[in-house]
Amino acid sequence: MGKNKVTDEQLSTVRSIVGSEYTEMDIYRALHLANNDATAAINIIFDTPNFKFKERLSVGTRSNSQVSHRSPSSDIGTGGGSLVAKSKPIDAEDKICSGSEAKVADSAPNSGGYTLEEVGERSSPAGSDWWFVGCSEMAGLSTCKGRTINAGDQVLFKFPLKSGHTMASPAKGFGRGRQAAATCSEIVRFYTEETGEIGRIPNEWARCLLPLVRDKKVKIEGHCKFAPTNLGIMDTILLSVSVFINSAMFRRHHQVSLKDATNSTDESVFHPLPTLFRLLGLNPFKKAEFTPGDLYSKKRPFNQKDNSSLQATLLHIKSKDPSVNDSEIDNDDSISEVDLDNIVGVGASSELEEMDPPGSLQCELRPYQKQALHWMIQLEKGRPRDEAATTLHPCWEAYHLADKRELVVYLNVFSGEATTEFPSTLQMARGGILADAMGLGKTIMTIALLLAHLGRGGLSSSQPVAQPFTEDGELNGTVQNSSKIPKKATKFSGFDKLMKQKSALTSGGSLIICPMTLLGQWKAEIETHVQPGSLSLYVHYGQSRPKDAKTLAQSDVVITTYGVLTSEFFSENAEDNSGLFSIRWFRVVLDEAHTIKSSKSQISIAATALVADRRWCLTGTPIQNNLEDIYSLLRFLRIEPWGHWAWWNKLIQKPFEEGDERGLKLVQSILKPIMLRRTKHSTDREGKPILVLPPADVQIIYCELTEAEKDFYQALFKRSKVKFDQFVEQGRILHNYASILELLLRLRQCCDHPFLVMSRGDTQEFSDLNKLAKRFLKGTHNASGGEAKDAPSRAYVQEVVEELQKGEQGECPICLEAFEDAVLTPCAHRLCRECLLASWRNSTSGLCPVCRKTISRQDLLTAPTGSRFQIDIEKNWVESCKITVLLHELENLRSSGSKSIVFSQWTAFLDLLQIPFTRNNIPFVRLDGTLSQQQREKVIRQFSEDSDILVLLMSLKAGGVGINLTAASNAFVMDPWWNPAVEEQAVMRIHRIGQTKNVAIKRFIVKATRLEEFLHRLQGIWLGTSEARGTVEERMEAVQARKQRMISGALTDQEVRSARIEELKMLFT
Amino acid sequence: MANSNLPRRIIKETQRLLSEPAPGISASPSEDNMRYFNVMILGPTQSPYEGGVFKLELFLPEEYPMAAPKLGRICLDILKDKWSPALQIRTVLLSIQALLSAPNPDDPLSENIAKHWKSNEAEAVETAKEWTRLYASGA
Repeated sequence: MGKNKVTDEQLSTVRSIVGSEYTEMDIYRALHLANNDATAAINIIFDTPNFKFKERLSVGTRSNSQVSHRSPSSDIGTGGGSLVAKSKPIDAEDKICSGSEAKVADSAPNSGGYTLEEVGERSSPAGSDWWFVGCSEMAGLSTCKGRTINAGDQVLFKFPLKSGHTMASPAKGFGRGRQAAATCSEIVRFYTEETGEIGRIPNEWARCLLPLVRDKKVKIEGHCKFAPTNLGIMDTILLSVSVFINSAMFRRHHQVSLKDATNSTDESVFHPLPTLFRLLGLNPFKKAEFTPGDLYSKKRPFNQKDNSSLQATLLHIKSKDPSVNDSEIDNDDSISEVDLDNIVGVGASSELEEMDPPGSLQCELRPYQKQALHWMIQLEKGRPRDEAATTLHPCWEAYHLADKRELVVYLNVFSGEATTEFPSTLQMARGGILADAMGLGKTIMTIALLLAHLGRGGLSSSQPVAQPFTEDGELNGTVQNSSKIPKKATKFSGFDKLMKQKSALTSGGSLIICPMTLLGQWKAEIETHVQPGSLSLYVHYGQSRPKDAKTLAQSDVVITTYGVLTSEFFSENAEDNSGLFSIRWFRVVLDEAHTIKSSKSQISIAATALVADRRWCLTGTPIQNNLEDIYSLLRFLRIEPWGHWAWWNKLIQKPFEEGDERGLKLVQSILKPIMLRRTKHSTDREGKPILVLPPADVQIIYCELTEAEKDFYQALFKRSKVKFDQFVEQGRILHNYASILELLLRLRQCCDHPFLVMSRGDTQEFSDLNKLAKRFLKGTHNASGGEAKDAPSRAYVQEVVEELQKGEQGECPICLEAFEDAVLTPCAHRLCRECLLASWRNSTSGLCPVCRKTISRQDLLTAPTGSRFQIDIEKNWVESCKITVLLHELENLRSSGSKSIVFSQWTAFLDLLQIPFTRNNIPFVRLDGTLSQQQREKVIRQFSEDSDILVLLMSLKAGGVGINLTAASNAFVMDPWWNPAVEEQAVMRIHRIGQTKNVAIKRFIVKATRLEEFLHRLQGIWLGTSEARGTVEERMEAVQARKQRMISGALTDQEVRSARIEELKMLFT
Repeated sequence: MANSNLPRRIIKETQRLLSEPAPGISASPSEDNMRYFNVMILGPTQSPYEGGVFKLELFLPEEYPMAAPKLGRICLDILKDKWSPALQIRTVLLSIQALLSAPNPDDPLSENIAKHWKSNEAEAVETAKEWTRLYASGA
């Protein structure tokens, strides 16, 4: 780790002087203040009144090694714990801190015995590290014959070593040379000093004692209460046992590797400490309101009227087709809106109260938006603060220990964690999921919330905010919140990152995290709707973004992207105290929160690690593909205990996957109080729709192919069908999915324009190609003073330029694939940018892989990409039937000034469309995936504001989510997409809140000609096929319908599989 | 294991090696590990190694093509510091073939043979022919 790391040596040096009344945390803190100078640290401790830091006492039972302040390791290594304990006066011993506790644990083969010895000496003095938990009877089983044990005899316990342990040297002078048997079993035996082994303790005791004793978290002493006079095998021996808990556990926070944590807790729901408490007969004086038992209860309602559809949903979600990967159809296996509503339920939200937004919000909220504001404010409030601070968190229970010091320990019934500090409801989630369907204005509702309650993280607390080592706590699965109450978080790898942060968190305002594409929109919406001066806004994005906490903390609202979040979390060079993770946010809002749906993704881990008082998820699709998606959201929101994978998995995920409806019911009951979801169809109290949008007229325009197009289409179809039939014959349809999709792709493109199929590899005039050639020929001439030999030969350059002119594809010499984002080196070699940069050791310069010339990154030229068309499309321009119809439609709209969006899934088709648009003087802008964020924003602004621009050419998938294009009132969807939902989403960009005009949506489908239809029908009669007719697009319509049926109907995996085959056959019949 | 996630580049190279083999060179991937190639190079005509079949083992490390293939003990700069990702298995094997045509005694594997070659090339060539016949006759 870094240089700032305090070494054990420094720690023990300071410890040896200041003594044990200062905790390790104090010493760490002092060392940090003293810049790791031990002497200075000691002075700081002694010179500062009240230096002692009252620590949060908390411990996870998963901490796997534990210590009391014990003797130096040198003694332990040879002597065993008990020997040392006997030979040293206690006070001396307490002043010395062992630097190598792990050794202690590992080198005590007779831990049972030594524990007992030690207890004998140490249990009495007040201030001892060991707290008396309780005492109970235990029925031991005799494993010996003929030995005797009398009531009152002290017994010692022997715990098996961890398997794989090498045995330390046997304890000399103790235990009569007894050596712990090298056994990996979990049997805990007991014996007396006089007779040796007597028996074993019951398994249930052993099971929970073993891990705890091994980790030195508890120790046990006992004596015999009753035993038969002459022992036989399996006789019962009544023991009385007392259990002590190591208080140091509550003070020290051990970093636990993820693996350990995963093995011991994450995947298991067995927790030794609560079990031990139960065995000891300890009853919580305050019970958890919410226990695992509740979750198993059979009382939960089983029947539902929508039973069947839920079941169908279940099946649908479950079915993943293993044979298809990464095909375009597969991408659309997302859940339909109807299914989503079935799963998460649409809340009966019409009864919610409304709340007026603050005056600084400069727009009217609709009633349902005011309801959302009220709901969000309520959720953020949680309970009144005082009440919250004094109410026990429902997942925790409180126990009185039997210790005379009247100690109270709190146990988490779900995670098994223990703490001595009161776990209040303050640590509970404050926030929730705003899951209104797309287009209802989640952004504006959130802005209203921001304005209604601006604040700073942690400031409402009476405690000072500065608290060192918060992050250590996080490692142990606890997060501190404003009032020093341990707050629970789940454990992640990558948390060691947080170890580096040794300073306090700065309190900050609200943080909004959104996809990069929405960054501009958030900023624009806030600037538009918020009264100037009422909040300060800062966009945390870009390479040059400041890293220091101050800048971030100064602003009321910070907007950033998931990318920045993730990179700051996983950044290797994170300075201490920097970036988003150095701040305790007042509020964190995840926009498009389904982005974090996969819980193991870096994005999800990073988002969950943010420290915040209030947390919100905004998403129109809380579940996208899998129920598991919800888990990530709940974990981020700190909805306990569902942030524990073990519990989620056991009670929700597994039952759900096994078809047990209770899993789903449980999710619904979890979500009900924390999620608000309305759709466009939701109604208000009076039963009126909450959102009245101008009507949208959806129309399908059937276009007929021209003769020439039809010939081309037929030829292409026949060729494709031959190939397809081969696959069918071989019974390998599903294995050749990609090839089949490629065939289909060509046919579908042909319906847009035959040029699209003729594309690939071609020409366009590069006005700058000659310039390029000149530059190469001059080459490094100018730069390096006339080194002609550095420049590539004239002939070679000529060749390269010709290649580029011809648009020859060529392949990258490194990946051997067609160039992707090709660059030209000064030596005129063409490579993919990625490939070239990957071959360099550093990012700024390296050798040309082809000729070994040294080149620098600045000298690279982006290779001109040739036009994608083989023929000169300008010169040979022909309108396709779709284009003719489209132009006609646009011409009709021109006089009204009404704006339109033209969607296609192929940017090449957008290329083509530009030609007639330019010729017919239709002013347009274009938005596709190649644009940078700034360019996108510019295009959207231009389209929305410039009344001259009538058309936006847009690739179907480029816009991403959430883009608001209500300036347009017409949408032309030029080609059908497999899943109607994607089309719907595109169209939603104009038919949403803010739209004032009637909306017309026109979908283009190429229709077979009458003759063709007639032939098909004839064929249908002969062959008995009736469904498949017409062009590929018409058949796609049928597939779309089928897909809808598949989603809502209950099809088994096998059925889905064969349905896919049917689907494909349908397209080629 | 070894064959899953085989980069496209390796697959492509393999396909091309098999479909359009370089004259006098055969390279085929092992069935259980596609990164492991059995290579045979025919001794170039008019070289002392003519008539010999030289078997080699070639292994593509994880970092390939950013790192050179592993190829036993052959002194060839492109297998070391002069490796470039624009080189391929084919180019490497062609280079080895060329090396057989024109041995480079200034960068030898065996000092003794290099000395011999420099002092009495005719005799060294004879030895090479003899050894080729004895050890690389393809039997």
